Amino acid sequence: MSKQSSQLLKLIILALLGTISMVLLFLNFPLPFLPPYLKVDFGEVPTLLAALIFSPMAGVVVQLIKNLLYLIFTGAADPVGVFANFVAGVTFVVPISMIYHKYKGDNSLLSGLVVGTVIMTFSMGILNYYVLLPIYSVFMGMDDLSSGALLGTIMVGVIPFNLIKGFIVSVLFVPLFIKLKPWIKQKQAIFNS
Amino acid sequence: MANSLIIGQYVPTDSLVHRLDPRTKIIIIFLFVIFIFFANNALSYGWLALFAVASAVATKIKLKFIARGLTPVWFLIIFTFILHLFVTREGPVLFEIIGFPIYSGAIIQGFAISLRFFLLILVTSLMTLTTTPIEITDAIESLLHPLKKIKFPVHELALMMSISLRFIPTLMQETEKISKAQASRGVDFKTGPIKDRIHAVVPLLVPLFVSAFKRAEELAMAMEARGYQGGEGRTKLRELTIAKLDWLAFLSFSCVLIGLFLLRQ
Repeated sequence: MSKQSSQLLKLIILALLGTISMVLLFLNFPLPFLPPYLKVDFGEVPTLLAALIFSPMAGVVVQLIKNLLYLIFTGAADPVGVFANFVAGVTFVVPISMIYHKYKGDNSLLSGLVVGTVIMTFSMGILNYYVLLPIYSVFMGMDDLSSGALLGTIMVGVIPFNLIKGFIVSVLFVPLFIKLKPWIKQKQAIFNS
Repeated sequence: MANSLIIGQYVPTDSLVHRLDPRTKIIIIFLFVIFIFFANNALSYGWLALFAVASAVATKIKLKFIARGLTPVWFLIIFTFILHLFVTREGPVLFEIIGFPIYSGAIIQGFAISLRFFLLILVTSLMTLTTTPIEITDAIESLLHPLKKIKFPVHELALMMSISLRFIPTLMQETEKISKAQASRGVDFKTGPIKDRIHAVVPLLVPLFVSAFKRAEELAMAMEARGYQGGEGRTKLRELTIAKLDWLAFLSFSCVLIGLFLLRQ
């Protein structure tokens, strides 16, 4: 396959993975014991697949497409939430795919999923503390949120949510990856030849 | 659900707002979102509310459709109001609810903040109500054009967005078809413990991914066969043009902003 056409094919594949991601977003279900604005969805699965087949950057692109589509379709009612979803996806997928591409093999995927979940949880905690929750409080006119209240929200809401989200996506992704593995190898061979 | 995904929230009517260039709408809405935070008294809020309501009326879209777009956020707006009712302590105490004193300042503050929230969402939702997703994508491509200078792949991003938009209905149908096929084999997506429901998604995703790759290969070949060579020198089916109407919109929006700064304290 010529360089240019494999480049185009890759572009289209990433676009379609972004579409699947968007379709899966509508399969989301709120967790019973968390506030309703924290929703778990399977949108990260295609992102992760793109990052593992191609490169971490491919994952970022799929995540970007998914969030842009979502923004266009929902009328930008909550751009901050969409931005948060983008960052969460990137901080989850990039470490996993970096570890996987470095060491290869099933074990590296497992440890990658654990590391990815931890990094996502950690960065979302920091991002919420310094950026997201302050922005929300400005929008809601509560300019004087104490750092104690911020920490409380993060400890009770954000951190458990991201841990659970990482866990659920991992539980789904491992069997999926095992099923798709021969097929993924075949696709990678096409692109690397 | 399938329907709302295919056309988004777009409601076709023949109005001036629909005919505006999507870039004009994006820029005006963006500025509105920033400048609404400059409103600080009843008059300036009223002035911006007048602008928002006038734009909503100008779209000629039935109230029913506009309200439907707002349903997910009603809860948040009311929640904001109640929060301020109990937290703000300014002015004289008006009355008590189960031991909580309600201050007069709280009602004013709560009302102002919820109004701001409401206006923000009303105006941003007018964008998707009057503009098709494909127009928004074209507008994003055009607005991001300057980023080409720093090697940001604007054309590629826009191409991917248009392909995505084109394939949403197709993949939506495909997902439905596969889940029906699996359901007829006894897979249960809707009930049971969360763990089972997660595992039920695997046989849904495998064929979805495989067929998406197949579609991608076909599309890539079709595009190559028609001589696609990237963004250089490519012409467009839909050209965006800034017309007289757009200058008029910018002009009247500047009047809104000038009015805002005259009315605020």
